[in-house]
Parts: sequence; structure tokens; C-alpha cells
Amino acid sequence: MMQVKLRLNGEDRQLRCEPGDTLLRALRREGCFSVRYGSDTGETGAAAVLLDGRLVSADVLLAAQADGHEVTTLESLNVATGELHPIQAAFVETGALQGGYSAGAMVLAAKALLERSPEPTDAEIRDALSGILDRETGYAKVVEAVRRAATALRGEKPGPLDPPILEPIGLEAALAIRPPADSTPDAPLALPRMVLSPDVGHTAVVGKAEPKVEGLRLAKGNAAFADDIELRAMLHAKLLTSPYAHARIVAVDDSKARALSGVHEVLHHFNTPHVRYASGGQSWPNPYPYDQVSFDDKVRYVGDRVAAVAADTPETAEEACTLIDVTYEVLPAALSASEATGDGAPVIHDETDSVGIYDAARNLSHHIEGQTVSDEALEAAFASADHVFTQSFSVPAQQHTPIEPHAVVGWLDEDERLVLRSSTQVPFHLRRMVAPLVGREVKEIRVVKPRLGGGFGSKQEMVTEDVVGLLVLATRRPVSMVFNREQEFISSRTRHAQSLTFRTGVMSDGTLVAQDLTVLADTGAYGTHGFTVQSLTGARGLSSYNCPAKRYRCDVAYTNRPVAGAFRGYGAPQAFFALESHLDDVAAAIGLDPIELRRKNWVRTGDRLDIVPRLGERGGVEDVSEEDLPVVTSCGTERCVAEGVRAIGWQRRDDPSWRQPDDRPNIRRGIGLALCMQGSGIPFVDMGACSIKMNDDASFNLLAGAADLGTGADTIFAQIAAEVLGVRASDIIVLSGDTDVTPFDKGAYASSTTYISGMAVKRAAEAARARIVERAGRLLGIEEEWVELRDRRAWAPDGHSVPLEDIALNALHTEDQEQIMGIASHWSPDSPAPFGAQFAEVEVDVETGEVTVTKLVMAVDCGVPINPLTASGQVEGGMIQSLGYGLTEEIVLDGQGRPLNAAFGPYWIFRADDTPPTEVIFVQTMEHSGPFGAKSVGEIPIDGVAPAVRNAVRNATGVAIDTLPLTPERVWRALQGR
Amino acid sequence: MIPASFEYTRASSVGEAVRMLAAGGEDAKVLAGGHSLLPLMKLRMATPSLLVDVGRVRELSYVRDAGDSLAVGALTRHFDLSRDELVARHAPLLAAVAGQIGDPQVRHRGTIGGSIAHGDPASDLPAACLALGASFVAVGPSGERRIAAADFFTGFLETALAPGELLVEIVVPKATGAGWSFQKFNRRAQDWAIVGCAVVRDGSTRVALVNMGASPLRSPGAEQALAAGASVAEAAERACDGLEPPSDLNASAEYRRHLASVLVTRALAEAGGAPGQEASP
Ligand SMILES: Cc1cc2nc3c(=O)[nH]c(=O)nc-3n(C[C@H](O)[C@H](O)[C@H](O)COP(=O)(O)OP(=O)(O)OC[C@H]3O[C@@H](n4cnc5c(N)ncnc54)[C@H](O)[C@@H]3O)c2cc1C
Ligand code: FES
Repeated sequence: MMQVKLRLNGEDRQLRCEPGDTLLRALRREGCFSVRYGSDTGETGAAAVLLDGRLVSADVLLAAQADGHEVTTLESLNVATGELHPIQAAFVETGALQGGYSAGAMVLAAKALLERSPEPTDAEIRDALSGILDRETGYAKVVEAVRRAATALRGEKPGPLDPPILEPIGLEAALAIRPPADSTPDAPLALPRMVLSPDVGHTAVVGKAEPKVEGLRLAKGNAAFADDIELRAMLHAKLLTSPYAHARIVAVDDSKARALSGVHEVLHHFNTPHVRYASGGQSWPNPYPYDQVSFDDKVRYVGDRVAAVAADTPETAEEACTLIDVTYEVLPAALSASEATGDGAPVIHDETDSVGIYDAARNLSHHIEGQTVSDEALEAAFASADHVFTQSFSVPAQQHTPIEPHAVVGWLDEDERLVLRSSTQVPFHLRRMVAPLVGREVKEIRVVKPRLGGGFGSKQEMVTEDVVGLLVLATRRPVSMVFNREQEFISSRTRHAQSLTFRTGVMSDGTLVAQDLTVLADTGAYGTHGFTVQSLTGARGLSSYNCPAKRYRCDVAYTNRPVAGAFRGYGAPQAFFALESHLDDVAAAIGLDPIELRRKNWVRTGDRLDIVPRLGERGGVEDVSEEDLPVVTSCGTERCVAEGVRAIGWQRRDDPSWRQPDDRPNIRRGIGLALCMQGSGIPFVDMGACSIKMNDDASFNLLAGAADLGTGADTIFAQIAAEVLGVRASDIIVLSGDTDVTPFDKGAYASSTTYISGMAVKRAAEAARARIVERAGRLLGIEEEWVELRDRRAWAPDGHSVPLEDIALNALHTEDQEQIMGIASHWSPDSPAPFGAQFAEVEVDVETGEVTVTKLVMAVDCGVPINPLTASGQVEGGMIQSLGYGLTEEIVLDGQGRPLNAAFGPYWIFRADDTPPTEVIFVQTMEHSGPFGAKSVGEIPIDGVAPAVRNAVRNATGVAIDTLPLTPERVWRALQGR
Repeated sequence: MIPASFEYTRASSVGEAVRMLAAGGEDAKVLAGGHSLLPLMKLRMATPSLLVDVGRVRELSYVRDAGDSLAVGALTRHFDLSRDELVARHAPLLAAVAGQIGDPQVRHRGTIGGSIAHGDPASDLPAACLALGASFVAVGPSGERRIAAADFFTGFLETALAPGELLVEIVVPKATGAGWSFQKFNRRAQDWAIVGCAVVRDGSTRVALVNMGASPLRSPGAEQALAAGASVAEAAERACDGLEPPSDLNASAEYRRHLASVLVTRALAEAGGAPGQEASP
């Protein structure tokens, strides 16, 4: 132990530290929770603080190195309760905080920058933020926040944040614009552009760029995240993971680990219950296979669970892990789907007690089929086509990389119920799924979802909670477990890698006559989400275009690779990469314009989506009657394409002088397009619920089961409720995702939250409204159907009004007392699709193969965006995540199955200084089945950037690359072979 | 990702640091910015028993005009180097290279001495020092000595520094008005280079490469070709003669060779002609 003397936020402090303590650890021990863990070696910047006024990463700084220095954390700005510093306020107003996990680092970076440069350029701002990774926003709004903060600190008034309204343009007119140039209205790109629909009525709160309801909590770095609490006598847990890709665990000797002072429990196969389960957080009954146990006697990938330790400190727990003696019998491994499904491959799931594996002997977790016509009819359709094209694609395993890793704190409450405070997207599924694994009943478990710092599907999985539950029950002490970055990369989940082959029959005029999609998918060591993700690949690959004959075939293979699971887009990004690349090449091959070919075939309002109900494990032509096929109820595809064409300056792609600039002989430019669609929840399955109660001052508590993971769900809930109740969004106090307190919800996935849970909120608010209106009628002396709620008052048609507060006081205290409240749930037989058009402009350096994306545009029809600011944040962040999928991201293993890039250095995600400008255009449509016309927007932005970039590269160079990511070497090699 | 346990001491002068290192023996290590050492320790790829923190040795942080050269203290941080006026005037390459390292946090902590002493073939400042023809001053128990950059980098993370020796100063010959260029090929702005190339033309031409072998190195092929009057294209062609670049997940050796020749071409073109040298391709 040593003493470290420093000045912390203006106060002299002496900290007791070990030599190995990082400043990050020391500061969190001091209660500076705004300093957060994102990585161990400085790559995420989540732990950035100011040291003598300069931004430094506290995770690569020993506490001892700060001795004698001045350390400033975000907490230094938090002087007045309920108030924000101008920089914090700018971050909230602009929607720069999604998860808000790195808010401290970003605000401090802004502070340091603005102190030395009060009027910074965009390049300076991006440079100042370049060491702080953000997986959610795409940086546009963060840069805008710093700009606004600068303006405010200079004493000037920042401009309004109203999204500019575009004059709509038709597709023909857009295509005819000459000379084409990108048309950026005079407003920051951080604001979405709006194309309004005449079908959408007036609203007071819905549709407005309201600041996030949890803005204060995030901007101040308050202790909102799972790991931001410390309980008395809390233990720290660490996982020991497998060094082998495939091995049997013959014996575990934990005696040395247990003998280490400070170790409280060591769990492994030989001392834990053996209950088969599927880790995917999905609706009951969970889809097969049940092929996992908490600690198996076999490891199936490098990173698989072997043992867990709970100890007084993380250091002790980590050391104890190294003292566990495990005897392995190493087995041959299959490291790709083709290897695993080939002859003589090792059987990865040779256990006898797993349930629901499609064909374990052939390493197939699932097989999926679906077709709209018989095989004979399909082949006849191909035979009738003027042209038939076959093309294969390959897409890698991408990792979610939420900046906040998986974190759980568990304890026994005073009634000895197990409480799990977990960074989960699915609190209710988790409660039900973890119960059998820890040997408790559902009623003995409470799951609390605190603030999440991103999830993207990785937190739709139970990857740590069962272990923490078992450790809590074994030690009867609180236990905290936080994945480190390497574990987050390897032992969490990834997107499914796939090989896809499209066979397409097309007439010379571009009409599609037959589509056949075959997929081999890699689910990694376990089959979680294997069926549903790959079903969606079929659905998305074969729904955007009308075609009389369609067939989908898919094998999902086990491999000895990290486990694939749910990841934003959920099978759709794979499908769209293949489909949209393929169609571009088909158009070129038959001499059609890529937009023309698509327009010939794209689905429109009123068309039926024929493949979806036919996807199943049985295959064959499912007997589905025409009326049972889902219908497209609203579709803005054509308008989206028109807006995107205008915004990107589409026709330049045919201009040789633009494509090959004279002054830069090594550069070729190009523009590409991809269309996409998604769903809004899972029809018949997803359900959300909400309750609302009115308080004395006409504020409302809104309790929703849904899980906001940084997306802005809590804010749009407040807006929806406020709209119905005639109050301000700030009058709604939202609490979501606590299984003891809030009603049920399936959780945050499948783009369901706005459409399903939002509708539950609307209905609950309407129930409360009915009570208010009845009482208001009485107080105003009119029939209740004449009462209107607005501006926090109830109005009679003649202009008389009564404050809602009086109604609340009347109801709670004086007359015929009641709690005014409403509760409702909602499910839907529909899943109306949002539609989008994504455009990319690129520069390819033909000497090096480097692809630089210079602009991204997405025009999207998500119905009516409830909050254009948070919705555009979803789009910007999704586009940049998809850009990573296209250009840089891929989990790479060596020949033994060991990860080569399980860290942010070698695994590249985009930073503030290399993210291209993004432009978001919302093309409104009115979706009558959604709350105030809304459809979903959370996933669709991740669908189309990768193929748009790929198509732009082809436009620039003539080279078609069908494997992601487009690394410089891959592009260079393709150019060599040209 | 927690380092093995170790002792920590802090030196307040060069003399004290040298004494502490001597007392600590083989397993003692200097801690400067810690941005190379701490990551290695967290990965347990380095397990020193004693860290001697020189972060507070103020006498090691400076840039001084020393006549026909600049003297740069080993503890000078990348950020300060990138903004220093003397450096901008007399060794602009060094400022440009320092300004493109990592990100602001890395530049605020990382030191030129740490970058040099670490001897990482992937880091940028060693290449800059090689191209500038710099030399390094080391102080050890037996006194002070000066080592030319060209003799300093001996292998993968290995240098001519003896255990117990402290790097105190980087001596950079003034290259006022000389042609120079730094080409960094990476997939993200400012990140580690996949391949990099630093060139200085001040009568003769020095071409140094990042990530093209086990250590930071110069390109004998390109330099000899230029000295013999070859064109830029010919020099670039020969840039990788005798080099054995690594193959890793960012680039195969073959692609690295190709990149190196492209970057050498670009760097020579940007550095332009220098007295007595042919510049145009
Ligand atoms: C996220 C991240 C990104 C980075 N990106 C880049 C990049 O793009 N380009 C790049 O070039 N570098 C990059 N770096 C490395 C960075 O520049 C390091 O700071 C630098 O390499 C080492 O300097 P340091 O002061 O931190 O040295 P330390 O880590 O303190 O020390 C490094 C080694 O040198 C020894 N040492 C240090 N000082 C002395 C001395 N005076 N005498 C003798 N021995 C000494 C130490 O004992 C140790 O072995 C990055 C680092 C990180 C964490
Ligand atoms: S707040 Fe940006 S990554 Fe979470």
C-alpha cells in the first residue's frame, strides 16, 4: 500500500493505493463514477480524465503516476443539484448522449478543447474527440454538441435545433437534376431533414426534438450503470475461459485457488448443477436447441466458460483463476462452417442430453427452408428467364462492442430473494431463464435493468447472470462481475458469419421471375438465436422485391468459434449485403440502371410479403392462404430513393471527370446505393406493457417493462404519454425494466420498442386520460366527451379550463377519492416494415486499395418519427456500425481458434476523426397500426451501408468484391486481378 | 488484464533514477508515459519487479537549440513535440510525426524517450529519428554515451541501451529547409501504421520505414539507389531489398512490400528535390 497525494476536483486528497492500481480504479473507489471502464489499454477513452488540464486515459495510468498532479473528472462540473454546465446542457439538447457511458470523457474533452480554442473548427473538435470511441451516435451529434457548447460559452445564443423541412421531390425529377451536386440545406448535418406527409396530423409533443428524459443523469455522469454501485462486503467475480477451441474437461483441481487468501468460491463443472438451456433472451418457450449448461464438461471455443471465482478483489479473483488446475483432453476442432459440415469433422455437440439440435452428428444446429412455389415451378421459372445469374458472397463475424461491457451486480435482499442488477436488454426473459439455472423460482428473483451503455443485441443474451446468481447463492454475499474487453470480444456474442449464394432469374426488361437463396451460416459453439436470425436472413433476402417464385434454403452449422447471437439487424445485414450487391451486378450485366431494375420490382403499399410465413424447419411449400400473407401497409421506398438521389448527387456516378479527378491520378470516385427494410417487432409474439399514475402536481409516473439501452425509448414513452395527457414530456417520470416494479415487456429487440411498447404506453395513457376527462367534465360542468387536455389543463369548448393539478388534488384528497391511473398492454398481428435507401460516396486509392467513404446518406421511412433527434441518432450510429461491417470489422482467429484481434487496437471501429459526414432524411408515412403513425427505426440503418459502399467501389473501379470487410489488401488484390 | 505485482518508486533526478535502476537490478524498468509498458504489463508480457517512474524528472522535458542540432529531452511528450516552435522550424518532420500518434490522450502521456527506448518496429518516432539522422544520449552507472539512431535498434523490442541505462536526450541535427515527408498508411486516422515511411532530403536522402521488419529501420535499397542517381521510381522499386516485413492480420508481407514502395514514391515526391538530387520520377 502507498499514499497518493493529488488534487481531485479542486480538493487535496490522499488515496491509499496498491502500486498496480490504475487511476481509473482509484477514482471509482473515490466515488467518481463518471470515469468508466471501456478497455484496459487506453483505446476506448471511456476512462478519460484531465490531468493538469490535459485529457489522459485513466486506464493506462497508474494512480501513483498522478501523485502531485491535479486531476479533474466530470464530477467537478456538478455543482448545483438539477442543473447542468453549458457543455453538459449542449450534450443533452443535441442528443449527443445515447447510452451516455462515455459522457464524462466527452464532456471533459470538450472542456479542455474549448478552454484552449474557444472557436474550434470541426477538424479540431473531431481531433479532440478522436480518442473516445462511441458505438452509438456516429459522432455527428457529439460534434454538434461541442459546437453548441462553444457558442454558449462565448456568450452567444446557439441556433434552434429544429429539423429542416425539405420540399419533396419525385424520383424522375431527382434523377433529372443537372448538374448534380449534393444539396445540403443550410443546417447542421446533425439534424435530420424531414419530408412531411399530409396524412400526419398536428401533435404538441410527439414528433418534436425533445431532449432525453434521462439527460441529466447521463450528462452528470451519475451512478446510473450496472457497475456503478458498491455494496458492503461485495465480492468480485472473474471467469476462467478455455485456451482451447475444443477439449474435454477431465478434471478440475481448485484447491490452490481456494487456498488463496481472499477467495470465497470457485465454481466449475464438478460442483455446479447441470441444466441445459439456450442463452438467447427470447419469448417462452425458448427456441431450440438447449445446448448449453452453466459449466459443461467440454469447452467448444477459445473463450468458453471453464470456471468462475469470487474473491475480495478483482486482482485476487484473477490470480485465483490462474491457480485452477484444469486437465483437458484436447480434441480436433472445426474452425469454419464448411469444415464443420464436411466429412470427418469432429462432433461438437456429442452430448446426449441436449435438446432440439437439428443434426448433431453433422454439426447442424438448424436447417431452414421456405419457398413460395414447388421446386418444379421454381425451375420452370428459371427456365423461362431471359437471364440467370448466380453469385456467392461471404460475410464475417462482427462484434457488437458496446463501450459498456456486460456487467452484473447480484445480491440477496432482506427477504433472501436474488436481485440481479444487470446490463440486460431483456429483464423479464432473464428472470424466467435464470431461475432454473440457479435453482430458484421466478418469484424469488428480481432483475433490475439500470442504465445501459449500448447493447446492440449482445445484451439480449444471458452470458454472465447465471454465474453471478450461483456465486451469490454460494457465498451469500453481493457479487459483481464485469467482462473485460477481451472477454467482451470473445466470450460475449457476434454476428453470424454466412456464405450466401443468390441465383436469380430475370427478364431483359429487369423483371424478376425467380429468386433462390442458399445460405450456410456459422453459429459458433452454441445454437442460440440460430434459427431466428437465419430465418430473418431468408425473410429479408426475399421480401423487398416482388417475384413469382422464391426459395430459401439454409444450414446453420456449429463450429469451434465464438458464439454468434442476436446483433442489431438480426440476419438482415447479411441478406442485404448479398441481395443489394447482386442486384447491382445483375443490372449492370443486363445493361439496366441500378435504380431502374430495383424500381421494376420493389414492393409497394398493398403488396403481400409472401416468403415470411413460409419459413420453417419443415420446409416445402407451406400451405399459406393469400389472405394470411402480411400486407405492406405503408411504404416510402420511392420517395426515399428520390430524396437520397438528390442528397448524394447520384448522377455524378456517370460523370468520368468526377470519377477520375485530374489532379489526383491514384483516386477513383464512385457512388453506390442499397435499399433495405426491416420489421417492427415480431408479429403475434412481442408484447409490451405500461402503467401510469398521476401525482399531486399533475406529473405522472410511467412504469414500462421495456428496456431502453441508450436508444431513447424512455424519452419517446414520455412524449407519447405527454401527448395523450396534455402535459410536457418533462412531467412524465419514466422508470423502465424492473421486474418487481414495472409491468412485463418482452424486452429491447426486433425493433419492437417504439411500435409495440410505445403503443402500450399510448393505451395506458389513454386509460388514465379517461379518468381525468371524466373528473374534468364534472369540475367544468360539461359532458366528458367535450373535454380537451392541453397545456396541463382540461378545457371546455367555451374556453373555460381547470388545471390538471386541481384534478389530481381533487382525486387524491378531496372528493370521491381515487388514484388516477392506467395500465395497458399491447401486441400486434402486424409488423409493418420501415423502408430505406442508403447511399455511399467513396474514393478508392487504386495504388493502395484504400477505400475512403466521403459521405453517407440514408433516407428512411419509419412512419412518423416520435422524436426526430433520437431517431436520427439511431440512424447515424447504425450507419457507422454498418460502415465498420463493410470496411474494417471482423473477428479473426488463428489456426488454433485463438482470437487475433480481441482488442480495439487491431479490431477497428470508427472514431470521431475518420467518420464521414452522414445525412439523414426522414420520409414520413402514416402507419395507422403504430403509435401516432410510428414504425421502427432502430435496426434498419445497419442494413444497407455495407452493400452501398461495395457498390460504390464497383462504380469507382469496376471491381466487384463479394467478401466483407473491404480491407485495403482485399481491394488491392481485387484491383490486381482486374 | 491486471499486471503482476511490482514495486514502484519515483525518481526526481537523472542521477537518482540511475541509482534506483542499479539497485533494482535486471528486473527493474523505467516508467515514462507508460503507454507502451503498462499495456504489456497488463497482458503479462512484461513482469518487472520494480518500476522507476521518471515522470517527474523535470530536467528531462525540454527542447533546446544546441547550435547545429536540437536537443530534445527524453521525457518530452508527443503533444509538446508536435507544438514546439523550434521543432517546427528545424525538424518539422518530428512535429508532424508526433502530431499523428494515437489520439490526444496518447500524445498527452507518451514520451519520445519511451517511444525510442521501446524499440517497437510499429512506432513512428523511431522512424522519424532514423530519417533525421538523430542520435541518442544515454546515462548509466558508468557515465554518459551517445548512440547513433542507425546503431540503436537491434531487434524486436531490443535496443542498444544496456540494462540500467537511462535515455536522457535525443539529438536531432537541424534539417532547416530540408525536404521531408511522412507517409502513414493506416486504416484509421492517427492510428498505428500498417506501413509508414519517413524521408528527409538534405543533400543526401534518408528513407526510414515503419513496420517493415523486426525493428525500426532504414531502407538501404532505396537510399543506395538514390545515392547512385536512380529515379524515384527505381528507388521505390528497391525500397524493400533485403527487408523481411511481417505478415499479420492487417497486411501480408507481400502487400506490405507493395505499400512500402508506394509510400516511398509518395514521400520522395512530397519531400521534393534537395541540393544535388534528382526529385522528379
Ligand atoms: C492507444 C494507443 C495508441 C498508440 N498509437 C501509437 C501510434 O499511432 N504510433 C506510435 O508510434 N505509438 C503509438 N502508441 C505508443 C505511444 O506512442 C507510447 O507512448 C510510446 O510508444 C512509449 O512512450 P512512453 O513514454 O509511454 O513509454 P513507456 O511505456 O513508459 O516505456 C516504454 C519502454 O521504454 C522504456 N523507457 C521509457 N523511457 C525510457 C528512458 N528515458 N530510458 C530508458 N528506457 C525508457 C520503458 O522501460 C519501457 O520498456 C500508442 C499507444 C497507445 C496506448
Ligand atoms: S455513449 Fe457512446 S458508446 Fe455508449
